[in-house]
Formats: sequence, C-alpha cells, structure tokens
Amino acid sequence: MSVAGLTTAEARESALDRIRSLRVPPGVALSFAVIAVVIAWSLAPGLFTGQDPVNGVPADKFLPPSAAHWFGTDQLGRDLFSRVVHGTASSVSSALIAVVIGVIVGGSIGLLAGFLGGWVDTVLARLVDVLLAIPSFLLAVIVVSSLGFDTTNAAIATGVSAVAVFARVMRAEVIKTRRAVFVEASFLQGGSHLHILARHVLPNASRSLLALAVLQFGLSILVIAGLAFLGYGDPPPASDWGLLISTGKDYLKWPWLVYAPALVTIATVLSVNRISRWLRKTD
Amino acid sequence: MNGYLGFALRRLVQAVVVVLAAYVFTFVVVSVLPGDPVTNVLRNPENGFSEDEITRIVAYYGLDQPVHIQLWRSLSNFLTGDLGVSLRSNRPVADMIGEVLASTLVLAAAGLAVAIVLALAIAYGTRVLPARWGQGVLRSLPSLFLSVPNFVIGLVLIHVFAFQVGLFRVIDPESVWATLFAAIALGIPVSAQIAEVLITNLDHESRQEFAAVARSRGLSRARLFAAHLLKPSSLPVVTVLALTVGELLGGSLITETVFGRTGVGSLVQRSVTTQDLPVLQAVVSLAAAVFVVVNLLADLVYPLLDPRVRAVTGSTRRRRAVDDGSLGAGAAA
Repeated sequence: MSVAGLTTAEARESALDRIRSLRVPPGVALSFAVIAVVIAWSLAPGLFTGQDPVNGVPADKFLPPSAAHWFGTDQLGRDLFSRVVHGTASSVSSALIAVVIGVIVGGSIGLLAGFLGGWVDTVLARLVDVLLAIPSFLLAVIVVSSLGFDTTNAAIATGVSAVAVFARVMRAEVIKTRRAVFVEASFLQGGSHLHILARHVLPNASRSLLALAVLQFGLSILVIAGLAFLGYGDPPPASDWGLLISTGKDYLKWPWLVYAPALVTIATVLSVNRISRWLRKTD
Repeated sequence: MNGYLGFALRRLVQAVVVVLAAYVFTFVVVSVLPGDPVTNVLRNPENGFSEDEITRIVAYYGLDQPVHIQLWRSLSNFLTGDLGVSLRSNRPVADMIGEVLASTLVLAAAGLAVAIVLALAIAYGTRVLPARWGQGVLRSLPSLFLSVPNFVIGLVLIHVFAFQVGLFRVIDPESVWATLFAAIALGIPVSAQIAEVLITNLDHESRQEFAAVARSRGLSRARLFAAHLLKPSSLPVVTVLALTVGELLGGSLITETVFGRTGVGSLVQRSVTTQDLPVLQAVVSLAAAVFVVVNLLADLVYPLLDPRVRAVTGSTRRRRAVDDGSLGAGAAA
C-alpha cells in the first residue's frame, strides 16, 4: 500500500482517476457545488456581500429583488441576501452540532447494544423505543425548552431527537458485521474485542452511518429552522434561515421575505439529500 | 394461533412500558434544567397565584419533597388516569387537552388523507405515465417534499390561496378551506415517505413473474397497477403509515402556528414558554401512547392482512418494508 514509488504527478493523476471512477452523476455534482457555496458563505460571508446584515437603510425598506439587492430588502431596509449569507454559518453549524451529537450518542448506544447484546441490549433497545415513540419534533421542542431558547440549544435538542435513529442503524450494522465469517476468523486468531471493534465493526458500519449522517444533516437544518420559526432560537438581529422565514411571514405582502430564505434552505437540504442518496446507492 | 397470542401480549406489555417511560423521560428532561421552573412559574407575579394557591399546588405536587418522590407521586397519579393540574391556569390538564384535541385530530386525520391520496397519485403516475421524463419528475417529488420545511409549504399556500386567490381568510382558521390547506401543508412531507416506500415496492413487484405474465396477456399499465401491483405493494405501507403518526403529531405543532389554529400544538407552545410541566408531560405521553397504540395495531393486524407472513410474526417483514423503502422514510419518522 505504499505510494513512495510514485512521482507527485503520477499520484495526482491517480487521485483524479479515482474521482472520475466514482462516476458522479451531474445532479450529484450540482449538489456538491451548492454545498460548496453554502460552506463558503458560512466561512467567509464578507466575501460574498458588502452590505451590512444588521443595520439597514430605513428609506430602502421592502424593495423587491433587483441587481443592487438580489433578494430585496426587509422591513428595516436591510439587504436580505446579506442577511441570508450571514445567517448561513449559524444555520449550518447548528445542524452540524446536531448530527455530531446524534452520531456520537446514538452511535455509542447502538454499538454497545449490538456488541454486548444480552441485558445491555434489552435495556438500550427499550430506551430507543421510548425516544422513537415521542414525535421527534415534539421531543426537540421539550428539550430546547428545558435548556433555554438559543440556537446552540436548539441544535443540541435536534441532536437528541436524532439519537434514536442513529442508535437503531448502528445496532443493526454491528449485529450484521458481528455475525460475519471474517469476524469469527479474526476472533479465533485471538483478536480482542477492541481490535475487532476498531478493525472490522466500525469500518463496516461507517458507510451506512455516513449516509445517515448526511441525511440527518439535511433533516437537522429543517428541524432547527422549525425551532427558529417557533422562536426557540437566537432572537433577531440573528439571521438564521428559519428566523428569516419566520419574520417574513408577518410581511406576506412582500413575499420575497419568505421565498428567498426558503429557496436557499430548500436548495441546501435538497442537495444534502441527493448526496446522501448517492452515497447509499454507490455502496 | 398460540404464537400470535404470545406475540400480541409481549407487544402490549412493551407498549405500556414505553408510554410510562415517556412520562418519566419528560419529567427528567424538564426537571434537569438549571433553575426551578416550577417555583419560577408559581412565584411569577404575572400568573397571579395567591399564597394559598401556591401552598396548595406545592402540596399537590409535593414540590417541597425530593425529586424522586415528586416523580413517584405524579407517576402514580398518571397511572390512575389523573393528568394533574396546570401550573399556569390551575385547571385540570385533562380538560385543557380535551378542549383542543378534536381540532388537532381533525387536522391530523385530514393531513393523513391528503398524504395517502398524494402518495397514491405519485405512485400511480410513476407506473402509468408514458414519458420517461414525466416518471423521472414524479420520482423526484418525494425527495423534494422532504427538503421543504413544512412551515414554508404552509406560508406558500397562505400567500397564494389566501392573499392572491382569496379562497380563505387567515383570520378564520377553522373554516373548511383553511383546514384543507393546513391539512395539505401537513400532509405533503408525510406523503413523501409513503410514496417512497410505495414506489420501491411497486418496482419490486413489477419485476415479479406474475407481472410479466399479466403484461404478456396485454394488460394496460393502468389495469396492471390496479389489479396486480397495488395490493402487494401497499400492504407493507400499513406499517409505514403507522410510523408517520409521530410526524403528523409533531408537524401539527408547526402547522397550527402557521395557520393560527388552536390545538394541541398551540397548547404545547404556550406550555413550553411558561414551563407548564404537567401539561408537557401529559401531551408527550399522550403522543407516545398514540404512536405506540397505532404501531401496535399495525403490527397485530399485519400478519392477518398478509397471508405470506401469517405463519411468523409481523416484525421481520415490517423491518424489510421500512428498510427497503429507504433510509429516508425510517429516519424521518
């Protein structure tokens, strides 16, 4: 598995070949492009818009979309495009927090249940049953209400509401792998539990877990937007996408205040879902 | 039938345990928070509790007792069917839920009906439409539906049909048209999950030999769909339908806000901002109970509906139906 013999050019070529050999469909490539833009927006919003997202020009309020204001302006004369771009970091990173919580907590529960079996499995399975039985959005609302209303807590609550799904998938994957012949062989060769876990079980589970994590990322954006819509996220002048839509609903006579942030949200989630679907298909 | 009875009993016990656990879970989540919400609510001058009332409520919930005794007390009340008294309005929680339950049930039922009709239409289209691109568009609809925040669907419907067309008025949320559009907003994301599973199953069944035979007999696509493909494909959907109950209840929280309806959702919202623990506990365990009962019924009815799985329990096939359908359906539920 050594690449020491290759020159840099050869190495680069083989990397390109590998990307080409994945045969990315155009729809998926477009989805990656959308995600790239969203990531760029969240890392360096200032590069994409020179306008102030917080202080507006009152005389310019409710301007429809134009060359100067791509998404129009809001009730305080703020450039909506700038507000969307500056709200990206918070919307995206909170979804990321939610997924990380889901993967780590849910993954550990599933791993323990599937790997140890017995009464541990029974207890954890019942716990997951309870979490699954509570409507996930209601669960997120309850948790965020107990943590306090801000965007980070909304992200944590969304993560908690996703724990059960990750636990279920992880458990199924672990049990599937544990029964495989090569795991038995590794065990007979004297492999420890930890070795089998790290070398066989986790790598095998990672593919479906990755697809699920990507899917949950999109879903988390929706759930967090929903919580922000109900007013459980950061208050204005924050400009999370859900909050922007929520503010826009009071000004439906100027519909771009709803449609522009909504379209950005939909395009992002659609792209994420497309990528997740592709990851699952190329298994 | 002995095996079936044992299976039914086991599932019934599990269901009861899950509902009780949901009650305890809500208690733990809400009491874990920093600060003492109960005292905050009771001592809040805005709520206007007299000193007597506070003493009575504190005694009723045993708020002067350690947490585990509080939990034990409210759990034993819950077991006898007593949902407690609201900390905010000092009224029995059961009455408060009873007042708004009908409105939410109507919305949820209408949403489910919309979801089923829409999913069937999409699935039918993917089988019958002659043009390949038309089928492609229909096949991508479910994933589009799953990417739209459901409050956006509601706002778009309000913007178009209330503001532009003038079909209903926003200030009259319980009117038939307003209810219908609320149901559409609630049903669209749910229809995506049903449609995904239905389409996958239809694809699977249409590759079977009986479908090839029917096609060779010259059956039209519409006839093949109605007479041969629909029934085997829609049986596994029963379990998916049961799983969407949670989605309908959770989604009604937002839909009710968007359309300004009063219902369980708006009750939850009010109780969340006022930290009205007894109401939240009751609603969560009620939602869990509905979910568990519906899924229990689906599991119990399934072996009776489908002769292929009558011999075994329904659980294996149920899992297959959901996993095949796609991660999306399972995950979103």
